[in-house]
Amino acid sequence: MQRVVRWLAMALPPLLFIVGVVVLWELWVREREVADYLVPRPSAVWEVLEGDPGRYAIAAQESLTAALGGLMVASLSAFALAVLMAHSRLLERALYPTALMIKVMPVVAVYPLFAIWFGFGIWPKVAIVALITFFPMLVNALIGLRSVDPATLDFMRSMHSSRWDLLWCLRLPSSLPYVFAALRISVPLSLIGAVVAEFLSGSSGMGQLILIANGDFDTPALFGAIVVLAFLGVALTAIVAAVEHRLLFWHESTLEV
Amino acid sequence: MVNESGPARAGRIATYNDPASTARSRRATCAESDAAAPVSTDTAVDRDSAGGSAIELRGLAHDYSTDSGVVRAIDTVDLDVAPGEFVSIIGPSGCGKTTMLRAVAGLLEPSFGSLSVLGGSPREAQRDHAIGLVTQEPGLMPWLTVAENVRMSLKLAGRPDAVDDWLRRVGLDRFAGLYPRELSGGMKQRAALARALAHAPRLLLMDEPFGALDELSREALRMELLKIWERERSSVLFVTHSIREALLLSDRVVVMSGSPGRILKDLAVPFARPRSDALFVDGEFLALEERIRVLLRTAN
Repeated sequence: MQRVVRWLAMALPPLLFIVGVVVLWELWVREREVADYLVPRPSAVWEVLEGDPGRYAIAAQESLTAALGGLMVASLSAFALAVLMAHSRLLERALYPTALMIKVMPVVAVYPLFAIWFGFGIWPKVAIVALITFFPMLVNALIGLRSVDPATLDFMRSMHSSRWDLLWCLRLPSSLPYVFAALRISVPLSLIGAVVAEFLSGSSGMGQLILIANGDFDTPALFGAIVVLAFLGVALTAIVAAVEHRLLFWHESTLEV
Repeated sequence: MVNESGPARAGRIATYNDPASTARSRRATCAESDAAAPVSTDTAVDRDSAGGSAIELRGLAHDYSTDSGVVRAIDTVDLDVAPGEFVSIIGPSGCGKTTMLRAVAGLLEPSFGSLSVLGGSPREAQRDHAIGLVTQEPGLMPWLTVAENVRMSLKLAGRPDAVDDWLRRVGLDRFAGLYPRELSGGMKQRAALARALAHAPRLLLMDEPFGALDELSREALRMELLKIWERERSSVLFVTHSIREALLLSDRVVVMSGSPGRILKDLAVPFARPRSDALFVDGEFLALEERIRVLLRTAN
């Protein structure tokens, strides 16, 4: 009971705000008789979504697959590289500038290259997503693996811990708060990456759906795509937050004040 | 690990005189697992002369390089701790007490001198899981419960599980399932003490273990340690700022002078064991306390 009350207290204000905005919007558009191709009524957007949910579901699934695939490839490889770099300053010095260069490179510029290499299927999209989500994980994981409590490290070393023990028992758990900070950045980035890649290829997913709606001046359909993307972003972020809360119960960031 | 392949290790002590090692030993203070590299030179000595003491320091000195040049933290320290002896080190802040203790623990490579721990190098003592370390910060792992934290040292040492027993002995048996952030400072330090003792180390190294606690917790933990140690009788090197604490616990109190740290006086503490806090009002105790206080005043 108390949990339900607390949950309502958390969820109700933002929900009420959104509902309020949508209602005011609907009333304003009706009152002023604004054309649907300029600012569509929320109800018109809903009609589009409801009229062909399959189209949106398939597009969303295509985008989501690319986003999560790229995110996974990038996060795992970035974390593995961070582990190596955390153990070798030489490796860090050697690789960091290159990683930084890749980070500041505009992904849009690389897409044609990826299209040549990976064709027009899902792989160039995965590559684009991986490219933009790699760096946040690398930087955060590296800091996390190094930000170990010195007193705990002294204890572990006085016990003749192997590098593996230090990594598995100390560095890895210590890095988790930073890993989740990285995910909070890279999860939304992964959706952006997928949609941008779809804009460029125009072959599938939410990006293609938006391109087509735009070409048809079908603004309600455009808004429908935006709503779906917003929903996907919120859902993914909520999942990350839930897992974080579960795993980081011991960390200050999850303390309930 | 790095140091596994050294030559026969019985009766060896580590000597340090390589100027290049200064740079490395500075890294040893950074949070790096590989920083305590193998010792620079090993000199074989007769096992009897080295194995007689739990700790044997000869001409130990250590330099830190800072932006404004090289700073000597400790200077030519000679010190012996006999097996089963409780030795306290007391001195003004920055007299190199911690540097000395970290060198003994194998966490820092001293710049000069020689150092033998339980008849071998500090790294060998680490490998034998013969060292129990308690520092001012408890250094518990926040993602493990109290019991799991204590179990960690048993796991690393490959010793049978004695967690419940140790938690009872430090008075934490009712809190075994709690996480560190749910504990008070004193309770955290009790857990750290149990963790340091659980694998039955022959040498206990304590760096101001009660320094961050309130006076009441300090007092309680002090008595707890006294009681536990008088049963275990491991060798102890104990760094503290409290004269009373040093006198209550120790067989000897080593008084050090300020930077660079040198040994001013090595005092035997004559009181019979088992001891209790009744000593605090003993005339001889108070006289010794005053004597050390005067020594420390001139040390600065």
